[in-house]
Amino acid sequence: MTADAAPPDYKIEIAPVTFDLSPHRRIRTNAYNGQVPGPLLRLQENREVTIEVTNRGGAPEVVHWHGLALPSDIDGAMEEGTPPIAPNTTARYSFTPRPAGFRWYHTHTMAMGDLTRAQYGGQHGFLSIEPRQNPARYDQELFLALHDWEGRLLASDDGAMNPTYKASTINGKALGFGEPLRVRQGQRVLIHILNSSPTETHWIAFAGHPLRVIALDGNPVPTPQVVPMLRLAPAERVCALVEMNNPGVWVLGEVRKHVQAAGMGIVVEYAERGGAPRWQQPQELQWSYQQFAAPRAAEPGQATVVPLVFESKFRGHGAMEAWTINGKSYPEVASAPMRKGERYRLQLINASQDDHPLHLHRHSFELLGPGVPLGPAGSDSWTPPEGFSRGIMKDVVLVSARTRAEVEFVADNPGATLFHCHQQNHMDLGFMMLFNYG
Amino acid sequence: MADLVVVLRRWLALLPLTCLPLLAHAQGNYEIQVYGADTVPPQNLMVELHSNYTALGEKDTIDGVYPTRHQLHETLELTTGLNDWSEVGFYVFTSEQDGHGVQWVGDHIRPRVRVPESWGWPVGVSLSMEIGYQRAVYSTDTWTWEVRPIIDKTIGRWYVAVNPALERTLHGPGVSEGWGFAPSVKIGYDFTQVVSGGIEYYANYGRIGGFAPTHDQQQQLFFVADLNVSPVWEINFGVGIGATGSTDHLIFKAILGRRFDFSHHSAVD
Repeated sequence: MTADAAPPDYKIEIAPVTFDLSPHRRIRTNAYNGQVPGPLLRLQENREVTIEVTNRGGAPEVVHWHGLALPSDIDGAMEEGTPPIAPNTTARYSFTPRPAGFRWYHTHTMAMGDLTRAQYGGQHGFLSIEPRQNPARYDQELFLALHDWEGRLLASDDGAMNPTYKASTINGKALGFGEPLRVRQGQRVLIHILNSSPTETHWIAFAGHPLRVIALDGNPVPTPQVVPMLRLAPAERVCALVEMNNPGVWVLGEVRKHVQAAGMGIVVEYAERGGAPRWQQPQELQWSYQQFAAPRAAEPGQATVVPLVFESKFRGHGAMEAWTINGKSYPEVASAPMRKGERYRLQLINASQDDHPLHLHRHSFELLGPGVPLGPAGSDSWTPPEGFSRGIMKDVVLVSARTRAEVEFVADNPGATLFHCHQQNHMDLGFMMLFNYG
Repeated sequence: MADLVVVLRRWLALLPLTCLPLLAHAQGNYEIQVYGADTVPPQNLMVELHSNYTALGEKDTIDGVYPTRHQLHETLELTTGLNDWSEVGFYVFTSEQDGHGVQWVGDHIRPRVRVPESWGWPVGVSLSMEIGYQRAVYSTDTWTWEVRPIIDKTIGRWYVAVNPALERTLHGPGVSEGWGFAPSVKIGYDFTQVVSGGIEYYANYGRIGGFAPTHDQQQQLFFVADLNVSPVWEINFGVGIGATGSTDHLIFKAILGRRFDFSHHSAVD
């Protein structure tokens, strides 16, 4: 942050807003510039930008610039040392955005038991970091954010408690309520989809249109693939190219019927076409990270191994579980010693019964193949699965229950670095740790 | 007016006596359970076996009703969900006892509705109706009707359920008693994810508007354990102590339940 008095490139105000998710559901929450999602900020890679954030939300706030390699005091996590923005004050951030790609910004506060606050409240916006040279092999860009609203806790028999939601939306509107996305026949449309849900993984298909995935979490994939649907864990992003060659009125929405019925969908309308939107129901869920990896397997490089075991701590059938990394909850979790310039391999051993979208701040990591099931004890040694390959760079990876995955990153951005589960209720209850290196 | 007061006083004085037969012989002990507010989901079948053994109970045959002492009751309960806010349950009651062998006792039907989860109430609420027949050698009141409101709440490791049930006889000597008050309460605590323990309280105070004297009421306290080994299994067992002269003094109970899901949900539903 700087005290520079020059006009900022962007101004963001956090303030309460009332808006309609659907004709029958009205929400009051804090938002960026009075809209959900917040404004799309288009920034140039490696060109300094100044953003002013004014907090009129009534409680301390912090804005996390998700997916950017920023200094710890700007990145937007109080745990890393970014100062909170007190109510009715303004913070001024000047930074050089990198790397290029589809990023996002969102609140990084705690909700604890209040399912209207923090990421539950839907404070999020799109960041597009434009490369110096953008070949722009598309005719139109669409930015879509998936979100779930009005969470409630329902006790379950197995002791796990996650919120369930009354409403689900794309860009803050239930299916059929907002304006349709308008396209023209023959266009190539680049769709940027963000899952900003506080806790839910979503499956998205575009009826009548296959999706060519070209980037995950904003980073180009080694092998773009045409897929029938996308899977996005909380905080994940997918960029997909779509050929608009099937004129009509279609639904882009959640594959699972009950979630689409709760509102997660949006109408896509070709020019000069009318009628009821059409949906083609897939019969199964399909997704894997591995399909986008480099076509040839590569030998793992030299990296220091950091084993991380994730477990839940039962607190009663009427309470959300607490979470531990290597047996401790944040802030008691021991930080792994690291050195600048070294390469580290995080062994992500999910010994719990929940899936976890794991996010590393201020760095991108390389995915080392898909998750493999854990043995009964959860401590068996990891061997690269068949078809092990490399080249997928991400900042969030979903590690399914009782599986193990591995990622590698280079410690090239010194300072405190937060690593956590992006499920709001998990990070609230201890699923975080800090890496710190000078 | 004075005459009316005298009549009322005499009538009230007789109330405990008129309640006595109902209270003394109506203790079923076929299904000893404090209900939670959840209902069985549609296309699911819950099969439960209630096993209750009265170690210390009534030793004499009274009004033709077999003594409860050393009776082993096996009750089969089948419950199926109708939709996401209602279910219906069926009971088959049996009794085994020296000298009487294995006997069919009776059958009940129990429809239930609940406040849907979508209403977002802070507590679980449902309403159960139970109507059924039991043979006269096991209860002088052969046809009975129970209206059972159910409220429950889980907070952290604690679980509380309250069933302020109302009962009345449809056929038998208890018909003239009208509605009786038979509440039950459960307080549970999760010691671990699998093991919960708690106490269950069952009572029958007698006729509403004229509760029986304490000695003639039924008051029972069960010390229970629940094993939450799997979402499809229900395991509960406990030991109960009767606190009044009209209550069986020592009962062992067990519930073994298994849920069957016939809904064939696919991943995209």
